[in-house]
Amino acid sequence: MKKHRLWTIVAALTVFGMMLVGCQPQTVTVEVPVKETVEVVVEKTVEVIKEVEVEVPVGGELVHIVARCKAAPPHEEGRCNNLVSAVGAANAALAEMGDDRRIELEIIQDNADWGDYKTEFELASDAGAAPDIVCSGHEHIGDWGPAGYLVDVTGMLGDYPEFDDVIDALWASTEWNGSRWGVPQDAEARPLYYNKTLLAELGWSDADIESLPDRIMSGEFTWEDMFDTAEEAVNAGVVAEGNGWWHRPKNGGDFLYYYYAAGGEITSDGDALIFDKAAALKVYEKLYAAVDRGILSDTRLDGDWTSWHTGITDGDVLFMFGGSWNWAEWFSNYVVDRGGEDYLWEHFGFAAIPGMANGTGNPTTLTHPLIYMISSASEHPDLALLLISKASVKELNTDYAIASGHLGILKSQAEYGPYTSSKFLSQVLPLLDVTTFLPNSPYWSAWSNGYYEGILAAESGFSAEDALEVAVDYLQNELGDNVIIR
Amino acid sequence: MAEAIMGSGPVKGQAPPSRWAQLKATLGAWGFISPAAVLVLVFFFLPVVILFVISLTDLSSSNFSEPLTFINLENFTRLFKDKFFPKILGNTFFYVATTLSCFNVGMALVLALLTTHIDRRAGLFFRLIWLLPRITPSVIYILMWRRISHQPPFGLINQLLGPFGVEPQYWLFEQPWLFVILVNGFVGASFGLILFSSAIEAIPKDLITAAKVDGASTWQIIRDITLPQIRWPLLFVTTYQTLSLLTSFEYILLLTEGGPGLYTTEVWALTAYKRALKTYFGHNQWGYGAAWGFVLVIIGIVMSTIYLRVFRFGELVQEPKIDVL
Repeated sequence: MKKHRLWTIVAALTVFGMMLVGCQPQTVTVEVPVKETVEVVVEKTVEVIKEVEVEVPVGGELVHIVARCKAAPPHEEGRCNNLVSAVGAANAALAEMGDDRRIELEIIQDNADWGDYKTEFELASDAGAAPDIVCSGHEHIGDWGPAGYLVDVTGMLGDYPEFDDVIDALWASTEWNGSRWGVPQDAEARPLYYNKTLLAELGWSDADIESLPDRIMSGEFTWEDMFDTAEEAVNAGVVAEGNGWWHRPKNGGDFLYYYYAAGGEITSDGDALIFDKAAALKVYEKLYAAVDRGILSDTRLDGDWTSWHTGITDGDVLFMFGGSWNWAEWFSNYVVDRGGEDYLWEHFGFAAIPGMANGTGNPTTLTHPLIYMISSASEHPDLALLLISKASVKELNTDYAIASGHLGILKSQAEYGPYTSSKFLSQVLPLLDVTTFLPNSPYWSAWSNGYYEGILAAESGFSAEDALEVAVDYLQNELGDNVIIR
Repeated sequence: MAEAIMGSGPVKGQAPPSRWAQLKATLGAWGFISPAAVLVLVFFFLPVVILFVISLTDLSSSNFSEPLTFINLENFTRLFKDKFFPKILGNTFFYVATTLSCFNVGMALVLALLTTHIDRRAGLFFRLIWLLPRITPSVIYILMWRRISHQPPFGLINQLLGPFGVEPQYWLFEQPWLFVILVNGFVGASFGLILFSSAIEAIPKDLITAAKVDGASTWQIIRDITLPQIRWPLLFVTTYQTLSLLTSFEYILLLTEGGPGLYTTEVWALTAYKRALKTYFGHNQWGYGAAWGFVLVIIGIVMSTIYLRVFRFGELVQEPKIDVL
């Protein structure tokens, strides 16, 4: 009986002890060796919030800046973390200028859907609670610029020499109505990935496989060749039916380069967007044929990213259209136990998107730079921009680029050792020679939805002509005079 | 005497009370009802008015910060001109009618009858099991269904049927409506089940006993005693669940997003949500989405009115006849 009581007391004490441990604040404090004391508090939730504390001179002002970033963990977290890392340099610059203000940064970072992320900023802006800095897709400038949510930084950029280093071509993505509305944070390419092991199984020699990127760039290997090869692989049993070629599993920017490859144009001299029926029809014909020939499954647009990544990294698919960031995603999250990046190099290759023989015939890709933008509600846009300038340096941006599979934004990175020594980044970089962009237009979202309705239709068994009719109806209904259908 | 008790009208020969006297007499009742009336006004009536007002504007994420621009009924014109408007409307009626008849009322009634005709404890246990889908968080519940019906080589159905030689399939995409109805029906059935069970158990036992003594079969008892006795909960569950299903879309959104393909399982409420709040690139058309939402309100009001007439709501709420004898 006594023994029983003893065990009861021991068990009760153990449970009590565990509760005490469990009730402790889950705070991780990291001391950073800079002039200021920086405390990083990491909440263990999907949304990561970090706060930076700094020492303020007597009589000075501590300015609280909030930055909001969309980032897939862990590889894209540099988007906001680089701002955290730049606080020290920004405050040092303020001290040097004799400015008694000091920046205290709070970052909010998670991996929300693009639409939700955008809506959140809009609602916050209207409620007067927008973050000072928002890092988002450049196409959102098309909505936020006209709505008055952003600071026009055109006249301010010259105050920060760091921005002279930004690749000139990328500034175009920050422009709307003749002004610049932010600073590029990253760039990327959207390549064709191919499974080298499966191509070898299909009878391709090593030389054939290794020369594929060059043959695509020269226009020798076209979109049609890719479909023929994929069909051959399905017929030969190298891949299952529907696994010859995969595109992304839901709507997104990728589908626009199909349209570009087919010879389509989207921007006009005015505000209205163009919908080129001939180009769209070619795209729909291609997609209908892909399903019809057994290359692509009619359920491919199922919206399930996990199955998509798993199918590719498990070696089930011959060709796939993805993004350069997928590379980092795969070696960070999907093939870690199989050798990480080395495994990817052994089994996968990448190249530009092949040209469409009945389109422009030219290889292509698409770049979707993310932009640091400053909210018009910010009381300290100069400090926000100062912080962004200190985050836009080659050391920080290169760390982010290597970790995330994105391309650098700075001219100096072309000769910066850590950047040039990254095999993946150096091989993806030439794709920018054939890159395209989304339009910065308030009508892009509706245009994209209409065009995507046609894609859904073509892959669901509608003929290409019917799919085109679906898209045109949608666009006319949704955009009216804001779309030129020709 | 009975009339005096009921207060149903002036006594013959007497002058009718003045309006002020009538108001004074009912002032207390108005006082008691006013808190609830204010709540109904603010949370039920006013949102419909706001919805209608927004539906007359072109409010969207690109002009959110500007003053409202009224465009008359243009959003409604666009809505009715939408190529897939008839399909979405048809889908909505199919989804509501099938889920309601097979599960929310049909299955609920069958389960209620079964669980009230077996051992009381066993009945309670089965009713509790049917409550599980309702208390499971929506996302977890749908993840479970997606895993069950996932594409080959995944999917519980494929794993289970594989050994029997059944060709693996992407079941969710092969039979999307089946899964949409099952998913919603398993949740919806529990509501009616609880109400019907309580109503059945509240039927005076004397009636059942008397019927049995007279030689009535179980089916006759159900048809002639149980069902007429639970007409009120039947009306309530049918009306409430119809309105619930008309406006529910979260399970469909999580399960199929209205697909596969083009509008295969897209229902009205989901379209309203997508137009107003959910596009891939975040161009929200609140005005246009509100127009879709407002039409749904009209459909709901029409459906409720039809139900009230079919179930003779007036008769159900009239004073018991025994009191006016």
